[in-house]
Amino acid sequence: MRVFRWKAIVPLLLLGAVGAGLWLVFADRIAKHTTESVGTTFVGARVEIDRLHLDVPHGRVEIRGLTVASPFEALQNLLQADLLVAEVEPLPLLEKKVVIDRLVATGLRFGTPRLTDGRTAEQSDGLKGQITKWGEQLRVPAVQLATGKISVAQLDPTQLHTPRRATALAGRADSARQIWEAGLTGLGTEAAIDSGARMVERLKGAKLTDVKLLGDARRTLEQLKRAQERVTALERSVTSGISALQADAAGLTDATQRDYAIARGLLKLPGLDAPDIGAALFGSAAVDRFQRALYWVQLGRRYMPPGLLPRATPGPRRIRRAGTTVHFPRVNEAPAFLLKAAELSLSVASRTYAARVSGVTSDPTLYGRPAQASGTAPGFRVAALLDHVRPTPRDTAAASLVGVALPSLPLPSLPMHLEPGAGTVGLSFAMQGDQVRARWTVTSDRVRWVRDSAGAGSAVGDLVWRTVSGIATLQMSASLAGTLDRPELAVSSNLDRAIAERLRTMAGAEVAAAERRMRAQVDSLADGPVNAVRAQIATLGGDVTKRLGAQRARLDEARRALEQRLPGLRLP
Amino acid sequence: MLLLKLIQSLIQTLHSEGTPGQVAAGLVLGSILGLTPLLSLHNVVVVGLIVILNVSIPGAMLGWALCIPAGFLLDPLFDAIGRGLLLGTPALRPLWTALYNAPVAPLSGFNNTVVLGSLVSSLALGVPLFLAARWGVTRYRATVAERLKRSALYAP
Repeated sequence: MRVFRWKAIVPLLLLGAVGAGLWLVFADRIAKHTTESVGTTFVGARVEIDRLHLDVPHGRVEIRGLTVASPFEALQNLLQADLLVAEVEPLPLLEKKVVIDRLVATGLRFGTPRLTDGRTAEQSDGLKGQITKWGEQLRVPAVQLATGKISVAQLDPTQLHTPRRATALAGRADSARQIWEAGLTGLGTEAAIDSGARMVERLKGAKLTDVKLLGDARRTLEQLKRAQERVTALERSVTSGISALQADAAGLTDATQRDYAIARGLLKLPGLDAPDIGAALFGSAAVDRFQRALYWVQLGRRYMPPGLLPRATPGPRRIRRAGTTVHFPRVNEAPAFLLKAAELSLSVASRTYAARVSGVTSDPTLYGRPAQASGTAPGFRVAALLDHVRPTPRDTAAASLVGVALPSLPLPSLPMHLEPGAGTVGLSFAMQGDQVRARWTVTSDRVRWVRDSAGAGSAVGDLVWRTVSGIATLQMSASLAGTLDRPELAVSSNLDRAIAERLRTMAGAEVAAAERRMRAQVDSLADGPVNAVRAQIATLGGDVTKRLGAQRARLDEARRALEQRLPGLRLP
Repeated sequence: MLLLKLIQSLIQTLHSEGTPGQVAAGLVLGSILGLTPLLSLHNVVVVGLIVILNVSIPGAMLGWALCIPAGFLLDPLFDAIGRGLLLGTPALRPLWTALYNAPVAPLSGFNNTVVLGSLVSSLALGVPLFLAARWGVTRYRATVAERLKRSALYAP
């Protein structure tokens, strides 16, 4: 039997030729689909391409009509580009690696509107969900200005210090009682008193020269003295112990004050100090900006990780299970993706700018240089550096725009929004390891306040409106510092003090009433255990002291009786 | 209808002129196509082998058709096997690193857990499947096929 089917060679070659022909016909579509799919997974929002052309002989890829939806806004694009031309090195393609020598992008526009929601649910490995959770810890509770109501969260008794400390103190008082009881029992006063009484009886009919009796009497007297010393020592211990317990009981007042502070924190209202007002007004907008910056930085860290360890990424989307694709970078080899240099022509606020990007790679350790982006023009400056070459990644980015029309700023819970007009906006974001530092500033001297019809009629809204509507300038600064797990947000603006003073007058009474209610709630939970332990300590002190006093009195009496008999005896 | 087609295809294959070994080899190669994700580079080689080697092409088609649902069902297992080989076996890491940085090999998608897991599984199943299929075809032709040929239902 023949092993090979030689006559099938020609049909097989023909099949191969047909396959190659089909690939040439459909290569552009396949590449377009793959680019859209990979881009969508990467960004976490839809990536759409009008047309993609592979010019294999010249190693060029042309993309026309690129649209990247915003992962944050439903009906907004992150960017659109008219044309992207990439010069691709052909040899790395055989290793399924993409090395772009030069990319030229023209007609880049940001924040353009779109007709459909381009966000994809839980793409980018759920990074967006993580960022949202991260931002929630920074959210400043908005003052319920529009309604004038102050909501109060449920007070959790287990969070309070006072009942916990009172219970612990009661335990210590019980332990002290047991120790002192044992001490009282171990004093041996009864035996000493009985010996004293018996000796007094013996001495009544004794001869003056009875040396043995005299020795016994002196020993009995010593026994009484030692018992007295033991009583004194125990008295000292009891006195200091009672003092310590009383001091701890007095300290419960401090714990109660701390519990009041915890309860105050449950009021859904920031303090009426100027910085808190700033955080309530602009904190939400600031957190949005910082969240976006963090999202891109974390995406960069996910897809451009430092080091050369195998790296797992989600597999390609297909009917079968996608699985996980594992990358195995090796020293002196090309990275899986590398964009050596890109020149961008972009439009921001109806102006055209130029920017440059370099060193964007999936394997920064292999490339050995950080990714950089920069762009400068009159009134415009942007710079970014993603240094993932070393084990601890360092990402910095800063951008500023001068004299551009700034987008309106909604003010949470207030029936108005702010139109900053033409002004200056700056954003900087730096992250080293998990240390984060960021700043967002907005400055404008032609601010316009716009009243929303929905919130009309609110007394507090009217008050704030009267306060701010006359203010024509805005200087706002929000900063973020700390670790990723414990970031701290600080916001200040020139509006804070003016609004804070008005609010303090208006809302002060209501806040005070709410605080009184919270204090009463704390008292209802704390008073019982505190009063009980205080009574326990008072009783304990009185009882032990009284019993010790009685023992001492009886010892004194026995000693006095013995000493009265002893002077009549002549010592040898 | 699909089931009937499959049964018809099975009977045609079993009654074809190929030897039991050819039918079994075709089934094994077809099973690789069915068990692994179709659009993979190694399947180009498998198709080439089916065409150029003197194996039963209907047998290969049957193996493919039978193994497609099995492939979908076993994907979680393939994923786990591939993960274990790619990430859980440090001794194999130099091999994967060399392949990953070699020309053409990465185009096969070997570094995907499902592709690698399913390919290794189908190759491991190849020999027992071949032996079982050859024995089954031989037994079928010696027993059932003879009786079927003599029955009124059989129309060659």
